[in-house]
Amino acid sequence: MLYVELLAQGLVQGSIYALVAVGLTLVYGLLRILHVAHAGLFTLGGYIGVLVTNATGSLLLALVVSMLVVGLLGMAIYRLCYQPILDKPPYVALIASIGLFIAMEEIYRIAFGPYGISYQNPPLQDVVYIFGITLRLGEVAVGVGTLVLIGALALFSTKTRFGTVWRATVTDPKMAESFGVDIIKVRYLNFFIGSALAAVAGVMVALLNNLVEPTMGSVPSYKALAIIVLGGLGDVRGTLIAALALGVIEAYGTIYLGNYLDRDAIAFAFLILVLMVRPQGLLGRA
Amino acid sequence: MLGLSGYEISLITSMGIAVIFALSLNLITGFCGQISLGHAAFYGIGAYTSAMLTKAGMPFGVGLLGAVIVAGLIGIFIGIASLRVRHDFLAITTMGVGFLFIGIMRQWDLVGGEMGVSSIPGSGLGKSGFMFLVLGFGVLTVLFSLHLKRSWMGYAFDAIADDEDTARVVGLNVSHYKLAAFAMGTALAGLAGALYAHNVRFIDPESFGFVESITVLSMVVIGGIGSVFGVVFAAAVLSVLPLWIQFIDEYKLLLYGGLLFAMMRFSPGGLAGLVKQILRHISSRKSLQKLSGGTKI
Amino acid sequence: MSKLLEVSNVRVQFGGVVAVDDVSFSLNEGELLGFIGPNGAGKTTMMRAITGVVTPTSGSIVLDDKELVGLAVHSRVRMGLGFSQQLVKPFRNMTVLENVTLTAGSRHTRSPLGALFKVDRERDRTRAKELLELVGIVDAADADPSNLPLGYLKRLEVARALALDPTLLLLDEPLAGLNHAEAHKLADMIVDLNSAGRSIILIEHNLGEVMRICSRLVVQDNGNKIADGDPESVMNTPAVRAAYLGEDMDNAAA
Repeated sequence: MLYVELLAQGLVQGSIYALVAVGLTLVYGLLRILHVAHAGLFTLGGYIGVLVTNATGSLLLALVVSMLVVGLLGMAIYRLCYQPILDKPPYVALIASIGLFIAMEEIYRIAFGPYGISYQNPPLQDVVYIFGITLRLGEVAVGVGTLVLIGALALFSTKTRFGTVWRATVTDPKMAESFGVDIIKVRYLNFFIGSALAAVAGVMVALLNNLVEPTMGSVPSYKALAIIVLGGLGDVRGTLIAALALGVIEAYGTIYLGNYLDRDAIAFAFLILVLMVRPQGLLGRA
Repeated sequence: MLGLSGYEISLITSMGIAVIFALSLNLITGFCGQISLGHAAFYGIGAYTSAMLTKAGMPFGVGLLGAVIVAGLIGIFIGIASLRVRHDFLAITTMGVGFLFIGIMRQWDLVGGEMGVSSIPGSGLGKSGFMFLVLGFGVLTVLFSLHLKRSWMGYAFDAIADDEDTARVVGLNVSHYKLAAFAMGTALAGLAGALYAHNVRFIDPESFGFVESITVLSMVVIGGIGSVFGVVFAAAVLSVLPLWIQFIDEYKLLLYGGLLFAMMRFSPGGLAGLVKQILRHISSRKSLQKLSGGTKI
Repeated sequence: MSKLLEVSNVRVQFGGVVAVDDVSFSLNEGELLGFIGPNGAGKTTMMRAITGVVTPTSGSIVLDDKELVGLAVHSRVRMGLGFSQQLVKPFRNMTVLENVTLTAGSRHTRSPLGALFKVDRERDRTRAKELLELVGIVDAADADPSNLPLGYLKRLEVARALALDPTLLLLDEPLAGLNHAEAHKLADMIVDLNSAGRSIILIEHNLGEVMRICSRLVVQDNGNKIADGDPESVMNTPAVRAAYLGEDMDNAAA
């Protein structure tokens, strides 16, 4: 039963990684920017989730508010921080993004205190039994929620006209532009959707740990970077697979390699190993 | 001696170590254009190597030498591995190396695990003697950096930093040059790390984490990528600012983060770039006049 | 006359698309060869196979009795291949003169360690200046390439390749984007280089200039070689006329 339980835990963790990484890969596909500050938005999503839930008692409302606010902030970051430096060498945007991320974490620390905040009445803490394993309702919600959101996104991008344009643009921005796509609009959309998904992940992590801390985004931020590389940068499908795979590998790895490497090191050892064998990523073409 | 208090001596020593460490990253990121987000790992490798060697009874000098060699060798190994991955990936793989290093050190009992290594032997040179040693290494590093910039190697690095593909077209073995940058930069970081270890006499994995990697990157970026004097200035100021002013120590990361962002957003060339921009503004007027006077196409 | 470059049965395939299909040609020492063909004929792909950016699916490319296929781009350059690219790519963190000096001193940069111990640039700077003089852009020696017009950059690209002192100079559309007078001047310069003994392959779209200056033409269309010989007879070949019909004939007549 341990195996199944580890698998379930890995998938839950992987879902969170997926929600964060999709935004990163969307931004990378379109702008070739490694948007590290994305994880700062993830953390903010968590804060808003806890604050609104505590104020109103409604987790659902908190989720919506968090997605909206963080989504808009993501668009603002594109407009104010990235757009003016797009023509500079790539390291410029990368370092700017790292700076922004660090500053964001510090602002959270100063604004909300260093020890973090929690739900007053943590929702979805009941335990359920599925397929003979014990899961918290929150964990189920994370898995199901991710599935629904990603599914909706997939439907939107394949079944609607705008979605098709969007997908084409993320895959090959230059080509799309030459076909008359308003690329600026697509960039805003990317930042909105990506940031809103990160906000959901933030709210969910807050739920699982019943804690939001200023540095909560650090580890997911680096791991999400590793994931989008594994997924073959800019490839949404690859990113999802890599995220789930990493969640599961970490879950098993912590049990079997825990004496030699901690969880974060396992993730990066996996990354480096894969890159040695497949420099273009798990699914990427050479 | 020299009328310096013990406190001032330790400030100057920390400053000197930071300068060496920042210049070591400048070789890789500044000269050769390769972003590394895990440079503190090599600083750590140097620190651990020298600490373990001297604790095993080796003399201080052997410790330093060992640190340089081990850090440089691992640097070459990582460099060879990094050459396989695409341009964009390098920042992330080096970051991964940083996390991997911490992860291994935390679990490795031989080097103290989470507890780190304490009572590392001193240099045996006394406080001010050690300060002079650090300053000596600092000056040598500056001189070496300046020489490298003027040499044909620096010339080739300029080309590679600007455009790798074109660098190949003009006959440069880009991989070999990148490896050379990695080897020199990591070996020098190893030296800085060893000096750090013998200065503070206690090290643990947390001293070489991601924050440290970002701190040193900040020094390079704020000083001006590739500029020796800009980086020296930024390293000297940023390393002691938090020590001088307690208030700044509290908000150190906010300061670094804010500066990194603001620099990139408004002056990607760093402080040195700002100075150069002003100078170029004056001289480009002249050369434009000259060109438009004699243009015939 | 001895053969300097021997391209035999080269085939380049991307996925299912055959860009170059079993093409062979050769270049004699001291020759100025025009390599032409309509848009999408696979000329640039052929060029890239020679320079090493693209790996042929099969075939061999021999320069000076040495096989090039399998070697990295920089190794081929070290073996005497100099090339100017279709898209000008000056190093933008250097002045025009520094761009050329870097390649003029290429013997210093063969290995990183050797390069570390060499500082003096004077001799190579002098040589670079001569080359800038030769291509006629010495007045822009100290300029930042970002601010220069295309006519200057095209010649900078040629000067940079020449500074390598290559046994074979490959020029990929050096005249593209230049106006009539500029193209004419640069073409004259290419002739001068050839007269001075340099072996040159010129890949060009500007048929008028190619016809005027080249001693021999190789024509490629749809990835196949369709003609090889002196300009007059090549242009009278039915296959070539068909390939160019309605395209560029006005140019050829000009």
